[in-house]
Amino acid sequence: MRLKDAALDRLRDAVRTPDLSGTRYRLVGPIGRGGMGAVFEVEDEVLKRRLAVKVVEVPFDGESPAEALLSEARVLARLEHPGLVPVHDAGRLPDGRAFYAMKLVQGERLDAALARLTTLPERLRLFLRVCEPVAFAHANGVIHRDLKPSNVMVGPFGEVLVLDWGLARSLEARELGDASGTPGFMAPEQAAAGPVDARADVYGLGALLDAMLRVAPAPPRPKALVAIVARATAAERDERYPDVLALAADVTRLLDGERVEAHAEGPLERAGRLVRRHRVAVGLVAAYLLTRGLFILLRR
Amino acid sequence: MTRFPDTRGSLVAAVKSGDGEARARALETLAEAYWKPVYTYVRLKAGREHDEAADLTQEFFARLVEKEWLERFDPSKARLRTYLRVLVDGLVANEWKARNRLKRGGGISVLSLDFETVRREVEERSGEGELSPEDFFEKEWVRSVFSMAVERFDERCTADGHALRFALFSAYDLEGDAAVERPRYEDLARRFETSAVDVTNQLAAARRDFRRILLDLLRELTVSDAEFRAEARALLGVEPPA
Amino acid sequence: MNKVLLGLLVGAGLGALDGLTAWFTPEARSEIAGIVMGSTFKGLVAGVLIGLFARKVESMPATLIFGTALGLLFAYFIARMQGKYYFEIMLPGAIVGLLTGYATARYGRRARPAEA
Repeated sequence: MRLKDAALDRLRDAVRTPDLSGTRYRLVGPIGRGGMGAVFEVEDEVLKRRLAVKVVEVPFDGESPAEALLSEARVLARLEHPGLVPVHDAGRLPDGRAFYAMKLVQGERLDAALARLTTLPERLRLFLRVCEPVAFAHANGVIHRDLKPSNVMVGPFGEVLVLDWGLARSLEARELGDASGTPGFMAPEQAAAGPVDARADVYGLGALLDAMLRVAPAPPRPKALVAIVARATAAERDERYPDVLALAADVTRLLDGERVEAHAEGPLERAGRLVRRHRVAVGLVAAYLLTRGLFILLRR
Repeated sequence: MTRFPDTRGSLVAAVKSGDGEARARALETLAEAYWKPVYTYVRLKAGREHDEAADLTQEFFARLVEKEWLERFDPSKARLRTYLRVLVDGLVANEWKARNRLKRGGGISVLSLDFETVRREVEERSGEGELSPEDFFEKEWVRSVFSMAVERFDERCTADGHALRFALFSAYDLEGDAAVERPRYEDLARRFETSAVDVTNQLAAARRDFRRILLDLLRELTVSDAEFRAEARALLGVEPPA
Repeated sequence: MNKVLLGLLVGAGLGALDGLTAWFTPEARSEIAGIVMGSTFKGLVAGVLIGLFARKVESMPATLIFGTALGLLFAYFIARMQGKYYFEIMLPGAIVGLLTGYATARYGRRARPAEA
């Protein structure tokens, strides 16, 4: 027999669609594709709410992708944080595919949010909100290993969610890595399949910050910020910030007009920064001097 | 006529094995999966006319058996699909003429190669130019594998007494063009004199069975887990993980 | 540093500097010491009052308005004593009051809540 293109498309679709018969979920439609799985919107028929279900993309009963997906679910289930999507259920579908059910995230992708946030302070504050769940995960012994713009979503109330923990690893596991990750956002030691620690995520966040600053309209970058990104994305991990909190602290200092650790400023630069930081006071002093000076000159 | 292999082992392993019957069956299955892609590729890449392409296709499979090309296949270097395509390139480059066709037995016994249907499609498509010959090869391979899976599913349903299941599957997923809306479950229920609930259950079971058959077939056509996963993504039109 | 102390220091400092600018007026040069002392004291008193206000009210806009008004008022009294140069004295005086208000509101430490 010879299948027509239309039939072929339908069959492909049928094979990829998860089989939810016998589960408490009813399929609503596809949402998109994550790291190793496809994500679908479903309705929980018991609790009458919409959820997202992530399913192993290639539907077969080989152990490693299924175990990887379930491992991702377990990581998320044990980390409870406003910046992490809560997991509600996990297991195997009737067709043998591994799945997990999580909160349905409503919001926009990071690059869409950045198109609206055009000033540097706005983008930096958003970046700090991305750092929070990552720092939390590190404090609980988990590194993400795949931080990048497409894994960050911004909710309708400005809340930030870090998604796709499919490559997450325990900080305790000292075994060699597997070079998984995204080029451009992956730390060199991770790309070389060497052992990784929290500084791999520092690199990822640095690369993410760099990407966030490039989205048009790109705000101008002060030297201190260039230095922060450079330090976070240093090839040698000993030259990076020791952890996410240190990176976030330096970004906060930049936002507050204070001196940042990553950048050694010259006297002129320092003066400029102080003037900018205290511009109202400086402006008032200037107004006073101008007024006094004008009166003195007029008297003459 | 396809037959179900007794084991789910790789076809390549079966071809390399000493078991004559298993070898013959494996070669038949391989040929069934690959003859259309090979024909299409020869027509589009080498620009051969229909008769010469048809002859070259027959020639290719004869040589596959005679020269034992599969013995030299190393799965760590490439996918089977790529390896076979490269062999086709080699065959075409060496300008084997139709009259050099060797008639040997012991390999493919009966290959009902319906060249005419494929010919028409190739001739229609070759004007479009959006796909390269290599892409056509892949597309035809996908089509062949799915077609084989459908045939096996049909045979399985008949053997197990689930004729209604295949009939519903065919009516819902195989019939009609993209422009035509799919039949509603209620209409199918009326047409096949059953209930809508039964239609729902049968279709769910049909998809589950078809999926399993399709992937079992793919397992036979691949050698390693990594190749299987990569080919599954190509088969299902899935992008690899970013 | 608490707001009152900050107000005192800023007010006194600015008052002293303001007084020193009298040096540019030749006829006032001979009395410069008195002018500076008076201006410093005026600034000190105004600064303490502004600091107290800032601590009590905890509102930047209100403190700015209060500081400006107080600076204007004190400068008016000085100008009245002179009988001349009203605008030249009152305008800078108002800016100094505004500056002192801003400094206390922005940089002064907030009052700690009373122990229960």
